Amino acid sequence: MAYIVVQILNALSFSVLLLLTGLGLSLVLSLMNFVNLTHGSFFLLGSYIGVQWMASGAPWWMAFPAAFVLTGLVGALLDRYPFRQFYPRTHLMQVLLTYGLSVVFADLMRWGFGADTLSPMLPDLLQGVVFVMGFPFPVYRLFLIATGGSLALVLWWAIEHTLWGAAIRACVIDRGIVETLGINTRRLLTVGVVLAAALGGLGGALGAGMLSAYPGLDEEVLLLALLVVVVGGLGSFTGTVLSALLIGFVTTFARMWLPEFANFLTLGMMALVLMVCPNGLLGRETRQL
Amino acid sequence: MTHRFAARRRSVLLAGAGLAASTAWPGLTRASGEPIRIALLTSLSGPFSGLGESMRAGLQLLLAQSNQEMGGRPIQLLVEDDQGKPDEAVRKVRKLVGQDKADIILGVISAAVALAIRDIVTESRTLTFIANAAANALAREAASPYIFRTTKTSWMLAHPAALWVHENVATRGGITLASDYAAGREYVADFEDTYRQQGGTLGKQFWTPLGTTDFAPLLMNVAALKPEFIYAFFPGADAVRFLKQMQDFRLRDSIRLIGPGALFDQEDVIPAVGAAALGGFNAFHQSPGAPASQAFVQAYQQARQRLPGEASTAGYATGQVIRSGIEAVGGDLSRKEAFKAALLAEPVATAFGPMRFDPRNNQAILDIYLNEVKPGPDGKPLNTVIKTYPGVQDPGPGNARP
Amino acid sequence: MTSRAWISATGVDTAPGRRAGGWRWLCLAALLCGVLAVFGDDYQLRFAAEILLVGTAVMSLNVLVGFAGLVSLGHGAVFGAAAYGAAIASQHWGSDLLLMLPVGVLCGMALAALMALVSYRSSGLFFLVLTLVVGQMAWEVVFRWREVTGGADGLRGYPALTVAGLPASHPLALFALALALAVASGWALRTFVRAPVGHAVQGMRDQPLRMRALGFHLGRLRLQTFLVTGAVAGAAGSIYPFVNQYIGPNAVHWSMSATLVIMSVLGGIATLAGGFVGAALYLVAQTQLSSWTDRWQLLIGMLFVLTVIFVPHGIVPALRRRFTS
Repeated sequence: MAYIVVQILNALSFSVLLLLTGLGLSLVLSLMNFVNLTHGSFFLLGSYIGVQWMASGAPWWMAFPAAFVLTGLVGALLDRYPFRQFYPRTHLMQVLLTYGLSVVFADLMRWGFGADTLSPMLPDLLQGVVFVMGFPFPVYRLFLIATGGSLALVLWWAIEHTLWGAAIRACVIDRGIVETLGINTRRLLTVGVVLAAALGGLGGALGAGMLSAYPGLDEEVLLLALLVVVVGGLGSFTGTVLSALLIGFVTTFARMWLPEFANFLTLGMMALVLMVCPNGLLGRETRQL
Repeated sequence: MTHRFAARRRSVLLAGAGLAASTAWPGLTRASGEPIRIALLTSLSGPFSGLGESMRAGLQLLLAQSNQEMGGRPIQLLVEDDQGKPDEAVRKVRKLVGQDKADIILGVISAAVALAIRDIVTESRTLTFIANAAANALAREAASPYIFRTTKTSWMLAHPAALWVHENVATRGGITLASDYAAGREYVADFEDTYRQQGGTLGKQFWTPLGTTDFAPLLMNVAALKPEFIYAFFPGADAVRFLKQMQDFRLRDSIRLIGPGALFDQEDVIPAVGAAALGGFNAFHQSPGAPASQAFVQAYQQARQRLPGEASTAGYATGQVIRSGIEAVGGDLSRKEAFKAALLAEPVATAFGPMRFDPRNNQAILDIYLNEVKPGPDGKPLNTVIKTYPGVQDPGPGNARP
Repeated sequence: MTSRAWISATGVDTAPGRRAGGWRWLCLAALLCGVLAVFGDDYQLRFAAEILLVGTAVMSLNVLVGFAGLVSLGHGAVFGAAAYGAAIASQHWGSDLLLMLPVGVLCGMALAALMALVSYRSSGLFFLVLTLVVGQMAWEVVFRWREVTGGADGLRGYPALTVAGLPASHPLALFALALALAVASGWALRTFVRAPVGHAVQGMRDQPLRMRALGFHLGRLRLQTFLVTGAVAGAAGSIYPFVNQYIGPNAVHWSMSATLVIMSVLGGIATLAGGFVGAALYLVAQTQLSSWTDRWQLLIGMLFVLTVIFVPHGIVPALRRRFTS
């Protein structure tokens, strides 16, 4: 019994990690219809910032806001050029641009941070264990579940229950009408992209404790995030949360029972979901007019 | 447009003429003062980039110490990135051999790369020195007269580990846990063979795919078994994550962990995991405390402010082997048979100790150290030699596993 | 997200080859190949053969992406699966081209058909992800089925290529074969694109609802496109393992598919010749740049980004616009 509870906690922590990787991408892709494949680079940058910050002796809890702000800044710069011209372009063009940029960033980060695997020096507070029904469970994973969960909740509330969220969602459907309401859509989209980048960086700083930071993580995270967001369906943040939970649980239990085939099973499950629901778990059918 | 074609044809003709001239007068190209082209094929991007950079640093240290010349001729170092991908490596090696006219190729981190380029370098008769890849096949059915391996095979690390574990840890109740790919399978299979031969019995074998991010579900299963020891192997970032997550779940204190040295590499894994590596045992041909490598360790620490691991030591040692070969032929690299004979005749003094080569497969015969990761003089985890298995020799050709 | 949202802004052209200057470019290409055949050394010929084979695969991807609007991240898997099929078959039944080609074509078509069936109802981003997932499942099979595919180490030591009993492993022979295949595939794809089915496929890309209203069966059109492009990629894939006598799981990985897409964009998505230009540019840049600098990935990435920003339709259409009036 205790064993199952702990495995459920494991699955939950992995789901939250997936959600963290997909947060920013969900915002920018799901809601703003901009395919941003540099998301993985933001995540990795945030990881590196988190690692360097914690190694430098500054207060550890500030590593996360620092990663948030710094990656947000990078996002703002990118929005200025070249993202802005690509918002109205087709998905394919966005994919190509952001993929090329991600290759450039990967190399720059390898140049700047080196090729070694780096791990953050977590504070003692986060390094302990709690005993869940006799099994030791790392505090850091609980911390991840707590912060990831609250982030998701805040984001969900902001998107579904504030005017700002409504305006962003409306921009995708009909930008012209939103402009007629007197809302500066360009600034709105910029804020959206910056927030998405910042969330990616924050996710990276939080995830570094579990994944470590190394060149190549950006590609792995990008793939995971893309799968999570797309399987969840576009246009819905709840969809992303659901698919993160689904993928997290399937992967964890697959690793428990059939560890060699875990990846294959996860991929198969994703393919099945997309076959049965061609627009993702909670996607809305879009029509061409 | 016609002008462009004329130019191209002219340059192609000139290149052709130049090629013809250089092949017709071999003596001219081997004149003294003409640099020896040594090509380092390593991974500077992709999953093994940390190891690749370390190997390059080790080699560059040796070249610097030799004043960029060997056997009276200057050395031109060509560095090629194989990205950890055999397809890329094959293309680069063909370029090195066909276009850049490299005299010697060395390096190769990944076993898959080593196997992929084996036929190409053998066909083109280019002297090649494998400095990291551990694939058993290269010492057995895929051995080549032109490939020297200045490093270990998987068997050479797994065999002494099994001997030591059987003698000092437990004769039953252990399990294995490794990355499910060629290297992981080889290490575990060889460990199991020797352990069984000694009379031990192994429990369950766990496998996990490359690039696993979350080991927690597996670790819970493993912990529930309460094994006497775990023989494990993970490469690169997987090793870091595995050790840290074992530590997170407080399993490092209660279960003894043994593995090939790469799991606890001094340069590429220990700095990232810190205390999570303490108490680990590993069998390796390299150790920062080994007497033979002291001079190199000090020089490397000065140059890069860190203790060397396998890749950097291997880069340095391979450079030493190449240097002794070049000096034996007096800088004349057309005398390939003499080069090879010199290496096979006498052991070469390297940072791994005196290195002898098995004449059947040009495989190095090395001392294997059993390291325990203990706190060093500065408090940081350090691979400390607790036992040495001298002159471990791979069984060689005719011993391929079915 | 409909497929129209994907492609329309790239300004896709009508059937290729109909503009006036087409023959001049063909002669240029023929001359280049002739010079290479006469003066090229072993390394250059083998490299050129590789470029031609990969270029053929990219050309088929161009048809899939540019003409049918199906942006697939699984085409590398189709190419790689055919390569593995040919290599494994050669271990059992010899490596004659007359066997390798059908094996490769069949493997390519099989995996392509699987992708078509799985992604029957998907479009846009979902289609992209689905093809990626299916391709990765193929990779998992290749990586794990060690006994047959060699796993992470890949396959080597299989017999060299022969044609009707005559050895064809010399670089010049490989180059000639790759060239012949490229020409044949180009002709086949051109015929497909200009045929009524090709026009219907382009209609499907632009206006799927209207096509459906006109009575076209979109699923069948998709399947046909997948089969044709899968066959071409499979044919190219069948010769690929014999260029270097090595095939590894990387040829099936999604990064291979991504590389094919990059090459196709560099050359020009909705063109047939663009595949070869893109493949040549990418492979040459990648192989040569890394000798000069450590930061070669940065340079390639920048090259790609600049192409996407300033020459979004690819190099071949830009050249066409510049040199033909």
